[in-house]
Amino acid sequence: MDDYAIGVLTNIGLFSFLALSAYLLLIAGEMSFGQQAFFGVGAYSGGVLTAIYGLPLPLAALAAMLLGALAAFLVGLPTLRLRGLYFAMATLAAAEMARILFELYRFQREIDGELVGPDGTQGFRGIRWIFERGIEPEGYLALVWGLLLIALVFFVLVERSRLGATLRAIGQDPELARSCGISVERFKLGVAAAAGALAALGGVLFAHHNTYIEPRNFDIMLGVHSLAYALIGGLGTAVGPLLGVVLDIGALEGSRVFQGYRMIAFGGLVAVLLIFRPRGILDEKAVHWLKARFS
Amino acid sequence: MAKSALFLICCLYSGFAFSQRAGATLQCTATKTDFIYDCVIKLSKGGEPLSGAQITVGADMPSMPMAHNVKPVKAKPGAKPGEYQAKLDLDMLGEWAVKLRLAGPVKDQLILLYHFDEKGARPVTRAGKPLRK
Repeated sequence: MDDYAIGVLTNIGLFSFLALSAYLLLIAGEMSFGQQAFFGVGAYSGGVLTAIYGLPLPLAALAAMLLGALAAFLVGLPTLRLRGLYFAMATLAAAEMARILFELYRFQREIDGELVGPDGTQGFRGIRWIFERGIEPEGYLALVWGLLLIALVFFVLVERSRLGATLRAIGQDPELARSCGISVERFKLGVAAAAGALAALGGVLFAHHNTYIEPRNFDIMLGVHSLAYALIGGLGTAVGPLLGVVLDIGALEGSRVFQGYRMIAFGGLVAVLLIFRPRGILDEKAVHWLKARFS
Repeated sequence: MAKSALFLICCLYSGFAFSQRAGATLQCTATKTDFIYDCVIKLSKGGEPLSGAQITVGADMPSMPMAHNVKPVKAKPGAKPGEYQAKLDLDMLGEWAVKLRLAGPVKDQLILLYHFDEKGARPVTRAGKPLRK
C-alpha cells in the first residue's frame, strides 16, 4: 500500500470516531454541532500526557476518554434541557468556547532541550510517542482501524440490546419514552458522555498521527463534517457514519479531475442526497429491508 | 570528583547534541497550473545542512483537518547541500501544514505552517509574529 492510500484510510478511520460520536447523539434524538470540542479535549489531553508526562499511549487514551466523557457530561448538564435547534446552537457555542480555551491554554515543559506542550495559538508540537517508538504508518493504520472495529462491535451489541431499543425510543418520541418510565434526561446525559469519550479517543489518535495540533483544528468545520457524515451514511445502523465518511472522502478523492471545483460539486451532491434521503443512505427502512432480505 | 563531574557534563552535553532535532524551511513558487507549487526544502541539523535524507512531503489544512488528502511526494536532492526539491499539488489556496517525514540519517517528522497564495508560499504568522519552529 502506498503512502497516499495509507493516509486516506487513516483519515477515514480517524474521522469515523467523530462521525460515530455525532451518530450516537442523533439516534438519541439530539443534533450536536459541538463534538469537535471533545475531539479537541482528547487531542490536547492525550498529547500532554504522552509528550510531557511520558505516559504510554494506551493509558493516555484511556485518561483522555475519561476527560472527554466528563467534559461532555458537564456540557450536557445545562444544554440537554434544550430541544432541537436550541440544543444544536448551545453545543456549537460550547464548542467555540472550548476552541477559545485551547487558544488560551499554555502548558509547556522543557524536554530534551526543547519546549514541548500547548502554546496557545502557536499550537502544540512534538506529540511524538508513535514516532519515537518507530511505529510505521501501516502499523498506526492497523491500530486506528482495530480500535474503530472494537467501537463498531460495541455499537452493534448495544443496538441489539434493550439499551439500544431504549435509545431509539427516546430518539423517536421522548414523551412516550418518559411515559413508559424511562428516565430520558439520565439516558441522554449518559449518551452525551459516551459520545464525548468516543470523540476524545478519535482526538488522541489524530494528535499522535499528526504530531502537531492547534486550536483551529477543532473549529466548526470539523463539527459540521462529523454531523454530515452521520446523516449522509444513515441513522439506521452504526455502519452508516462509516459509510458517510467513506463516501465523502472517496467521492472527493475520486473527483480530483475537477480540481478546486470538486468541493462545490460535492456540496451540491450532499444537499441533493439529504433532500431525497433525510435520514441518510442506510436509514432505518433500508436497514430493515436489508435485514429482511439477508436473514 | 572533578573528573566525574567533567564526565557527567560531557555526557549531558553529548546527550543534548544527539537529541537536537532537524529543522527545515520551505521556499515555494507557484507554477502555471493552479495550486501546484515547485518547492525547495532546506534541511539542517545543529545549524549544518543535512544531506542524504529521504523526505516524504505531505500536507493538511489546519482549518479542515483530515478532509484534504494531498498525495505525498518524495523530495529529490537539490542543487546545494541540505536542499531538496518537491512539487506540491494542493487542493486550494490558504494555510497548509506541510508535513515532512524524514528517513535516512535522521528519522523525524516536521510540520511547517505556510500560507500558499497565487505567487508562492510564506510562513504563517499569528498576531503578526512568526510561529515558533
